[in-house]
Amino acid sequence: MTQNEINWPVALRATDSGEQAAAVRALRELLRNGLRIALNGRSDVSEAHLEDFAQESLLRVLDRLDQFQGRSQFTTWAQAIALNVAFTELRRKRWQDVSLDALMADGERLMDSAMIADDVLGADEDRSRLVATLRHAIEHDLTPKQRAAILGELREMPFDQIVAMLGTSRSAGYKMLHDARRALKQRLHAAGITGADIQNAFNL
Amino acid sequence: MKPENQRLTREQVGSIVKMLGLTTDREFNCSECLQHVSEFAECRLANQSVGEVISQVEQHLALCPECREEYEALMKILKAKP
Repeated sequence: MTQNEINWPVALRATDSGEQAAAVRALRELLRNGLRIALNGRSDVSEAHLEDFAQESLLRVLDRLDQFQGRSQFTTWAQAIALNVAFTELRRKRWQDVSLDALMADGERLMDSAMIADDVLGADEDRSRLVATLRHAIEHDLTPKQRAAILGELREMPFDQIVAMLGTSRSAGYKMLHDARRALKQRLHAAGITGADIQNAFNL
Repeated sequence: MKPENQRLTREQVGSIVKMLGLTTDREFNCSECLQHVSEFAECRLANQSVGEVISQVEQHLALCPECREEYEALMKILKAKP
């Protein structure tokens, strides 16, 4: 039987322990092979890492089996979870030495007028007005944690790391960032700068 | 954190502005994106149009570099399938 022909949700829940064990082994191999393709060429990923990621991913998939709704192939759904497990761990390792104090201090630098040069997007009047409005909004409409989260993202710090350091959950952290973007956008709107203006006039 | 004292670059400020341009009142978060990204990837691979719910995945991927990185890795795996 090929991997495409396996009814994975059924096989992984099989009451026959031999059948279930075979499905678990096959899924683990499938996840490891997928991760090998996805992470090929990365100097920070060894064969041992692939084994660890595959094992952790397998446990995560089995734990979430009831969440699979059949809207895609099971293997695609499982690979997406495996990639989330692997990339989350790789990002965590890369940024593990950054402190909360450093993140918060960096965020406060966003209020320093020198951080965003007047002509960073160009010297014409529209772009200068956008930058000035943005700077004003960052200073007056955001909380310190929102500024820290935005700058953390600009520094390419992983979101999981940012929310962990800020002592919030991933969903609460995403809402915090979403609220920050909406606040900044509302300030731009109030100044007569719309989303369409941004997309069209600034070609970003 | 590396370039603490450096000014933000054009790309970084542009990134903020671009995110604001894409911001809507209702958005998928990362968990919702992960729930639907496998379906989105298969639609993309088959050149099929995506439904309204799945189009929110596309919007989230435009805003979230981490989910985008994972989506691109998923596409790499799917394209390598025999």
